[in-house]
Amino acid sequence: MLRRHTHEAVLALVTLLAILVLSLQSDQFLSVANLLNQGRLMTEVALVALVMTFVIASGGIDLSVGSIMGLSAILLGTFWDGFGLPLPLAMLAVLVVGTVCGLFNGIIIVHFGMPPLIATLGTLALYRGLAEGISQARSVRGWPEWFARLGQGDWLGLPVQVWILLAALALAGAILGFTRWGRTVYAIGASETAARFSGLPVDATKLAIYAVSGFASALAALIFVARVSTTRSDMGTGLELDVITAVVLGGTSIFGGRGTILGTALGLILVQVLENGLSLAGVKGDGTIVLIGVVLIATLLVSTLTERRARA
Amino acid sequence: MTDLSQDAAAPRTGPIRRILRDYGHELLVVAAIIALLVVVGAINPRFVSARNMTSVFSGNAYIAVAAIGMTMIIVTRNIDLSVGALIGVLATVSGTLAVSGAPIWVAWVAPILCGALINAVTGLLVAYAGIPSIVVTLGMMAILQGGLISVTGGAWISDLPPEFLLAKMKVMGLPMPLVWAVALTVLAAAWMRLTPYGRSLYLIGGNAEAARAVGIPVRRRIVEVFMIHGAFAGLATLLFATQLQVIQSTTPPNLELLIITAAVIGGVSILGGTGTVIGASLAAVLFAAIGSALIFVNVSAYWLRAFIGVLILVTVLFDVMRRRRETRQKGH
Amino acid sequence: MDIHIPEEARQQPDAAPPVRLGVRGISKSFGPVQALRQVQLDLRAGSIHALMGENGAGKSTLVKILAGMHAPTAGDLLVNGQARRFASPRDATAAGVAVVHQELLLFGELTVAENIFSGHYPRTRFGTVDWSGMRRRARALLAELDCHDIDVDTKVAALSVALRQRVEIARALNQEARVLILDEPTAALAERDADRLLDVVLQLRDRGVAILYVSHRMNEIFRIADEMTVLRDGQYVGTVEARDTDEARLVSMMVGRSIDQVFPKVEAKIGRPVLEVDHLCAGPLVQGASLTVRAGEIVGLAGLVGSGRTELALTLFGITPARSGRIRIDGAEVRITSPRAARDAGIAYVPEDRGHQGLVKSMNIRENISMAVLDRVSPGGMLRRAEEARIARDGFDRLGVRAAGIEQVTGELSGGNQQKVVIAKWLETKPKLLILDEPTRGIDVGAKSEIHRLMGEMAQQGLAILMISSELPEVLAMSDRVLVVAEGRITAELPRAQATPEAVGHAMTRRSDPGTRTGGSQQTGARA
Repeated sequence: MLRRHTHEAVLALVTLLAILVLSLQSDQFLSVANLLNQGRLMTEVALVALVMTFVIASGGIDLSVGSIMGLSAILLGTFWDGFGLPLPLAMLAVLVVGTVCGLFNGIIIVHFGMPPLIATLGTLALYRGLAEGISQARSVRGWPEWFARLGQGDWLGLPVQVWILLAALALAGAILGFTRWGRTVYAIGASETAARFSGLPVDATKLAIYAVSGFASALAALIFVARVSTTRSDMGTGLELDVITAVVLGGTSIFGGRGTILGTALGLILVQVLENGLSLAGVKGDGTIVLIGVVLIATLLVSTLTERRARA
Repeated sequence: MTDLSQDAAAPRTGPIRRILRDYGHELLVVAAIIALLVVVGAINPRFVSARNMTSVFSGNAYIAVAAIGMTMIIVTRNIDLSVGALIGVLATVSGTLAVSGAPIWVAWVAPILCGALINAVTGLLVAYAGIPSIVVTLGMMAILQGGLISVTGGAWISDLPPEFLLAKMKVMGLPMPLVWAVALTVLAAAWMRLTPYGRSLYLIGGNAEAARAVGIPVRRRIVEVFMIHGAFAGLATLLFATQLQVIQSTTPPNLELLIITAAVIGGVSILGGTGTVIGASLAAVLFAAIGSALIFVNVSAYWLRAFIGVLILVTVLFDVMRRRRETRQKGH
Repeated sequence: MDIHIPEEARQQPDAAPPVRLGVRGISKSFGPVQALRQVQLDLRAGSIHALMGENGAGKSTLVKILAGMHAPTAGDLLVNGQARRFASPRDATAAGVAVVHQELLLFGELTVAENIFSGHYPRTRFGTVDWSGMRRRARALLAELDCHDIDVDTKVAALSVALRQRVEIARALNQEARVLILDEPTAALAERDADRLLDVVLQLRDRGVAILYVSHRMNEIFRIADEMTVLRDGQYVGTVEARDTDEARLVSMMVGRSIDQVFPKVEAKIGRPVLEVDHLCAGPLVQGASLTVRAGEIVGLAGLVGSGRTELALTLFGITPARSGRIRIDGAEVRITSPRAARDAGIAYVPEDRGHQGLVKSMNIRENISMAVLDRVSPGGMLRRAEEARIARDGFDRLGVRAAGIEQVTGELSGGNQQKVVIAKWLETKPKLLILDEPTRGIDVGAKSEIHRLMGEMAQQGLAILMISSELPEVLAMSDRVLVVAEGRITAELPRAQATPEAVGHAMTRRSDPGTRTGGSQQTGARA
């Protein structure tokens, strides 16, 4: 048990250490208001990262999540403001479109055999291009009060989206850790051929993972639009990199077969803690990015080298 | 000794079919460019005016140059997501030197050397630590991007000396970026085709274990290829940073994706072992031309990215289909 | 044509030809596993030395050491009498040692010509790669190998296995090889191609090349080899001259005991038909196969590699679903479109490539054994860990897997124990038909007989077993009935009593269509 979760243990220690050091630098850091606000800010990345854990653990990758987020944001505006759909219906339609975008990724990967990296690089350009083409640089504002609460309001003392995030976290953790679908994901990531030869539903599982990845990106877009009260076609630019960083930092192997939701959660928290804590301590945001890059490479270096030693 | 009549009996591929096989993809890209020029030129003749053509091609020459190095990286079955950030850093290095009063040649050579050195780190992590290039370069991207802004504080470099502005110079009436892009493409293509060193990149990407078995020092070579790629990023920087009077200390957003896209549309297979730098350069020209053409036929330029996305998917689909067909053939 | 082959006359029989490559006390261990112990042999100019041994005997390890791909833990390599270290493949090449590996090390996306010269390109006087010279010399080299039907400009990915192998040999010749090592070169070849290959090998011997020929095809060995060295479980057993020995003696050296002990065949009651296949077609390699397997019966499927025997199994198992034809299980027609459908129909398949297809090596025994019945141990989706562990422990005990426990990672197990885990996984699906593809490949002798014993027990319990194997003795000893596959069809059916090595061997190589070629190219009118 412990051997399997060394990475998470090390990461938890590093995170605690970071929290400790940073809380000494600024009084605000550990205040309830700040922590809740950080939860609000990290929800969009976190939702996508939870699903990305499944994608990467199954041996794939999805670079198009940021573009699906941008396209979803633009379409929400178009459906509601342009077509005059009732907002709840528009939201539903956007979730469907996001899922279809993800499913399209899955289809070109599973049925046409394209490498996930390049297939989703193509759809990254395609979906962003559609967002730009449809929006023509127009943005939609004037969202109703009830919608804005999704991104700005509180419920039972916590930001509304944090409830969504907690539910998603529990669900993702349970599925990956305790169900046959989770086991199937690991088996596919560790050896797709052996999984297929064991009668596991490889193709259906991969399709589902990419479709859910699209769904999560669309959901993140709804929350993002509600939080900032506007739509822009460049929303979510670079999201894929933040998400992949958190997931890989969390110990999910880029080769597939290994990774946990707990690890991803720790990875997300560490990144958020560093960004917030350092900025409160007076370090500029860009210095933080450097640190995150260094932490990412150092973590992988350590885990690759220890793994190699274990194998030898 | 070989009997000539027997030799003649062996099936052969004629020179034309050989060119079609080796450069079929490149010819397809050329055909697409020509078709675009003809069709859009017929709709709006101003599109093919010398002025527009010059601005389209020389304004995007730096992408072609950077795509040369990226091609080499992808041919060895690696990828580099940090090249956009690298170009941003190198531009600032070069600009800072240029306004600091250092000799102009120093400001020109420095980005090339720095590019090679920074990428040596990437290459070492990929080849010797065994971390996949996609992750290493993701981390490098964060480091370079964040490092650049924290060091410069986001300040722009202005008052660049006019003799530094390479991109604005002309050689025999031709804009410098165009000349450089063509010359570097031809040189790199010849190098990859005609030298054992250049061929070794294809061997590594095609089958790394077999490459080791024929005596190629695979790890060392991967580090070297990353360094060469870094040097090309430096050359691209010179063309990119000297277009305007100022250098912004931010990295151009999504530049790495644009460069990777050029390589992929140019026929470099992400599955390794195939593709040429000529294709990559031509693809850079192609999508520069598409971008400009959209304006001239009154389609909003906002659709450009969607076109490029479709282009990537179609190109890769053909590559995958072709490989499947070839593997199936041998079953008989 | 400048072909770099040492032009030495064949030595007189009385003068011992010089030793080109000497192997002295070579040992190799991988961690705790001792793969080779104290191996010695001499490769002489103009002589063919056969290296023999069962799967897992250490032949491939020795080949990799001679190729410079592994460093030996102890011992010396003598090149023309001088001790040398091969730190890399380049060193081996420089010493004149060329290797044709079993898994051909070629570059599929590059042309035949470039593959032959990869790493050793001919240069023009400017130092650049001489492409036209390369093509010319490639053509000449292939002509030397009596191989006039390869276009040097085609991509290697488009060639058949036989032709790819020719390309590898041409590459070895180009490296001025004084020592040529061929690792099971005929394993993947049809009879006719194998014959052509042997002719080439003899031709090279006559030119003075020292050859190490790794194979376990007895007829080939006796046709070409001058002496043989036998390895068993990594241990050097001995070297014998071809003229002083016979097949029986070699087999006993290889196996260490007589064949009867190795294949304990138990009688089982043979019942109703379980599997009935009628004119099954799929892909290019399954062309109208029909067969029946009965409860309690072990049916051996013999055939050359490329005959379609594995492809037939993959079709029954739903990996490459059938294009036409009928499959019946217990008399009821089933449509098999995926491995899952095959499992539900009662078909289990223990695949040929254990490490790649059979097991998820990074997962533990429990996770592997439960993999094919994952839906059964997770009603409503939630995994029942206790139920899973129970199933895994059952299979673990029943098959006598030797490991630290069900939580041990399968990649750490020996080949025999890995195979038991795969079999346990499939027995858990309660199959009616068990297909075993090369069930004992790469498994040591002890585990091998254990697996054979298990097969007998399973048949006694009424399981129908279809066994594919390229080891003829195994097929003959274990089967109640032998079916021979050629060109995607069942071409012969021999009851146990009539299944002699000669009869089966003859049926395997008989061609229904004498014009069939395995080459990638069809226009070969002008073969001299």
